[in-house]
Amino acid sequence: MVNLEDLKKEAKRILEEGKIKYIIGYERSPNGMMSMPAFIKNPEDAERLTWDPSCVYNLTRFLVDEKRRKAKEKKPDTRPVAIVVKGCDSRAVVVLLQEKFINREDVYILGVSCEGAGVVDEKKLTEKLKGKKADKIEFSEKDHFLITSDGEKIKIPAQEILAERCLECRANFPVIYDEVLGEKVERRPEDPFKSIERIESLSKEERWAFWKEQLDKCIRCYACRSVCPMCYCDECVVDTISFAVAADTTAEEKAQKIKWIERSPDSSENFVYHLVRAIHLAGRCIDCGECERACPLDIPVRLLNKKLEKEAKELFDYEVGFDPEKPSLASSFKDDDPEDFIR
Amino acid sequence: MKRTGVFVCHCGINIAGTVDVKKVAKELSRHPGVAHAEEYVYMCSDPGQNLITEAIKEKKLDNVVVACCSPTLHETTFRNTSKEAGLNEFQCEIANIREQCSWVHKDMEKATRKAIKITKSAVERVRRNESLEPISIPVTRRALVIGGGIAGIQSALDLANSGYEVVLVERSPSIGGHMIQLSETFPTLDCSQCILTPKMVEVSKHPKIKLLTYSEVQEISGYVGNFKVKILKKPTYVDPDKCTLCDECTKVCPVVVSNEFDIGLTGRRAIYIPFPQAIPATYTLDIKSCPGLLPIACGKCADVCEPEAIDYDMKPDIIEEDIGAIIVATGYDLYDKGLMAEYGYGKYLDVLDGLQFERLCSASGPTQGKIIRPSDHKEPKEVVFIQCVGSRDPELHCAYCSKICCMYTAKHAMLYKHHVPDGQAYIFYIDIRSGGKGYEEFVQRAVEEDGVLYLRGKVSKIFEDKGKIKVWGVDTLTGKDIEIDADMVVLATAMRPSQGAGELAKKLKIAMDKDGFLSEAHPKLRPVESVTPGMFLAGAAQAPKDIPEAVAQASGAAAKAVAILSQERLFHAPTVAQVNLNLCTGCGMCVEVCPYVSLSLKDGKVEVNEVLCEGCGTCSATCLRAAIQVKNLTPLQVHEMIDASLGGR
Ligand SMILES: Cc1cc2nc3c(=O)[nH]c(=O)nc-3n(C[C@H](O)[C@H](O)[C@H](O)COP(=O)(O)OP(=O)(O)OC[C@H]3O[C@@H](n4cnc5c(N)ncnc54)[C@H](O)[C@@H]3O)c2cc1C
Ligand code: SF4
Ligand code: SF4
Ligand code: SF4
Ligand code: SF4
Repeated sequence: MVNLEDLKKEAKRILEEGKIKYIIGYERSPNGMMSMPAFIKNPEDAERLTWDPSCVYNLTRFLVDEKRRKAKEKKPDTRPVAIVVKGCDSRAVVVLLQEKFINREDVYILGVSCEGAGVVDEKKLTEKLKGKKADKIEFSEKDHFLITSDGEKIKIPAQEILAERCLECRANFPVIYDEVLGEKVERRPEDPFKSIERIESLSKEERWAFWKEQLDKCIRCYACRSVCPMCYCDECVVDTISFAVAADTTAEEKAQKIKWIERSPDSSENFVYHLVRAIHLAGRCIDCGECERACPLDIPVRLLNKKLEKEAKELFDYEVGFDPEKPSLASSFKDDDPEDFIR
Repeated sequence: MKRTGVFVCHCGINIAGTVDVKKVAKELSRHPGVAHAEEYVYMCSDPGQNLITEAIKEKKLDNVVVACCSPTLHETTFRNTSKEAGLNEFQCEIANIREQCSWVHKDMEKATRKAIKITKSAVERVRRNESLEPISIPVTRRALVIGGGIAGIQSALDLANSGYEVVLVERSPSIGGHMIQLSETFPTLDCSQCILTPKMVEVSKHPKIKLLTYSEVQEISGYVGNFKVKILKKPTYVDPDKCTLCDECTKVCPVVVSNEFDIGLTGRRAIYIPFPQAIPATYTLDIKSCPGLLPIACGKCADVCEPEAIDYDMKPDIIEEDIGAIIVATGYDLYDKGLMAEYGYGKYLDVLDGLQFERLCSASGPTQGKIIRPSDHKEPKEVVFIQCVGSRDPELHCAYCSKICCMYTAKHAMLYKHHVPDGQAYIFYIDIRSGGKGYEEFVQRAVEEDGVLYLRGKVSKIFEDKGKIKVWGVDTLTGKDIEIDADMVVLATAMRPSQGAGELAKKLKIAMDKDGFLSEAHPKLRPVESVTPGMFLAGAAQAPKDIPEAVAQASGAAAKAVAILSQERLFHAPTVAQVNLNLCTGCGMCVEVCPYVSLSLKDGKVEVNEVLCEGCGTCSATCLRAAIQVKNLTPLQVHEMIDASLGGR
């Protein structure tokens, strides 16, 4: 099991050495069950760091923000940023490297192993505690969580409150790191695509009805895109508001920024938004589930990406985020592709 | 607003039979910005083109849409017309209302509606076209021919005789290819070596031909007119200028290996000359069979070589050449015998393949043209020839027909009868394909004059029994089982692309078909061109073929290469990719997908090599951020086209 003290010690050490700009990690939230992102600059603050099953966030999105910030600075601090990543999150780092969005020397990766467990699903936990608040969520043995609620300690089998994606996870150990804490535990999900089975079993009409109902709820707040580490485009093709028009943008350039969809959140526009986003994430989404978690309307956006992940696996034997040297799905090409129109 | 002219072609009834062309013209004349619209029976005809020229001048048109056939056919015609009338040629676009409309629909009303939409979207597109000038590039006026079989030899000679320098690269120690192994050739039965060796000598003597044997293309870069080629010349360890062909070295060489020229029927030494008329006329030390030069393990050959032609220190050489056009003539190999175990090939000495039989018949062969059994050197009295071995067998072997086996099997049976008049030749066949000048007559002659027995059917089993090779089969015409106690069996095995052709094709970036033969750009209209500009195909590398066809294609490929080499400069379409640097994140996905290798990353952004870019648009389709787009087919233009076809305008 990851020893939190080791993590703090390591964090303190690298900050003291001065080779790291700051650490992106997790800390306990003063109000709420789940841990929250922490940005640690001073060695003495390393104490604040935490690692427990409530560390659900994928912090790699902050690497995107860091890159943006740095680009604007006149004299940027070029030291690497350290980041705490779970197995799934580490795959996001791999994709960012693969797409050359970040350089390997710009990150110091502190991997943590999820071992036999993973992170909790806040809703499942709340349900389990019948509305009570958990004060503390800890790993216990290899496949249980230890919850402290109202001074009472309860042991819950991990399977019962794990986040959906953790049940289907194929990377419970970081795939890339500079330092790693915890054991590498072999754990294969029974069915990595179980969550989409139900929808796949529906008829075309039923599926349409399902998605229409779900996507009609979407208010296009773009939270799903904003948390996504892969949605790092400066201008999102399906969001006209993101189009940068500056004083020196020519009329021709302006005309080239095409409004493929309207801002209005109605069925047809919402479908286009979500389908474009899903296609843009095919072969890039590492299933951290952040989009779904961030959605204020509980739309199961993750399922769209999961379906494409399955297609990529079945059609092209492609798995995202394991090898930064490999070309990404949309740009890989095999001479022996079974489809001869491609060859 | 820009003034657009629309010209709708009837294409006789090809379009007008399904599309109401008058209505298309009328509708378009009402479309905003269209200053002129008319229809005519054949726009591509002289009067048709004149209509366009006049309208451009009189109506002061800014751009033109011709609604007609596919742009692959007449885009150039109408762009030239527009240019002659004073427009930039890229102010002309084609609306394809034939292949994409009239030919694929029946309902006139619906087809007309669709034709109107297609034409309107072309109008919207052309309105935003940039005026562009072709990109001009210089030409290196030298050619590279890869493969020195009859096809490569013919191409090289044609090019050299047209006055261009040629580099001919052959991977084995001599040129000649498979033709030099053949005995007599159908349908005229002239001696193969006698007609080939004069051409080989001409190659070796030609001042314009640089012959690189025992060499292979290692690397290639650049583009049409300007290729850079790296060629690896393997060491032969013999200086051809000093070698006097005294043959002393082979007498002392202690190593004997199977002789590839006789397909294993004889042996050769580690130092050898492939055959007496080899070009270049010199010996080669085969380092794979020699017990070693580092340190020298034997050294006998150098000891006896009086002119001191043998140089154990010879090193591989990398030769770099600037080339304008390339012809690939890498030929074929016979189907791997290991895969033909069912016919006992490789197991029984007297089961031969076609090329081995050629060597047996050849006056210069191991038996001086006497047909005898390899096992006991006796004259075979009953010989069974089996056609389609490995060909036309989609389940287990090759699906295609190797095309030449019917003819050479008839030839083999005939030659056998000429050598052994009292023998009997049987041929198992599926059917006889003898299309070609004098070919059918040739097969008839085999049956009528030489009494060859054709048995229609497949062989089920071949096995050795008491010195005979038993062949069991069925005659499908009579339904009877057949058993022949043969003395020899000759298999007409399938022709395959030559070994290593796949890797070469990858280096050259030319496509292969499903069987590994090199793909022509168009099966009918561009049979000697590859899809890559400046690279041409000749001979059996492209598909199984016989000598006359290989030679014809070789001359065709040479003519195509001359069409490039004779130019001062080449022009490249300027409709190439361009990058919006603000949007490019440098992910490199487009770099990876570009089939023409025209993109690269520089300082975190992508850069286009305009000369290499073919404007295929693969990059645009891949970029998530719409950061790369092809000129005159920008996302905005596509958007406007979609809008127009959805009835937006
Ligand atoms: C048994 C038999 C009998 C035949 N009889 C007749 C006949 O009677 N009449 C007739 O018209 N046709 C006949 N043919 C067909 C004839 O052999 C071919 O049509 C002809 O040889 C094709 O010539 P080519 O130059 O395309 O290929 P090849 O003769 O195969 O020559 C290809 C050359 O390229 C070289 N090469 C290959 N790869 C590379 C590389 N990567 N780099 C450099 N060099 C390379 C090879 O070493 C070879 O020298 C017969 C064929 C067979 C099998
Ligand atoms: S799916 Fe949810 S998070 Fe995404 S835009 Fe719609 S409402 Fe916002
Ligand atoms: S949806 Fe596509 S364009 Fe938009 S931010 Fe995500 S990846 Fe970029
Ligand atoms: S795919 Fe787009 S963003 Fe990526 S390098 Fe190419 S142009 Fe730039
Ligand atoms: S248009 Fe085609 S050839 Fe040109 S850069 Fe893009 S992918 Fe390459």
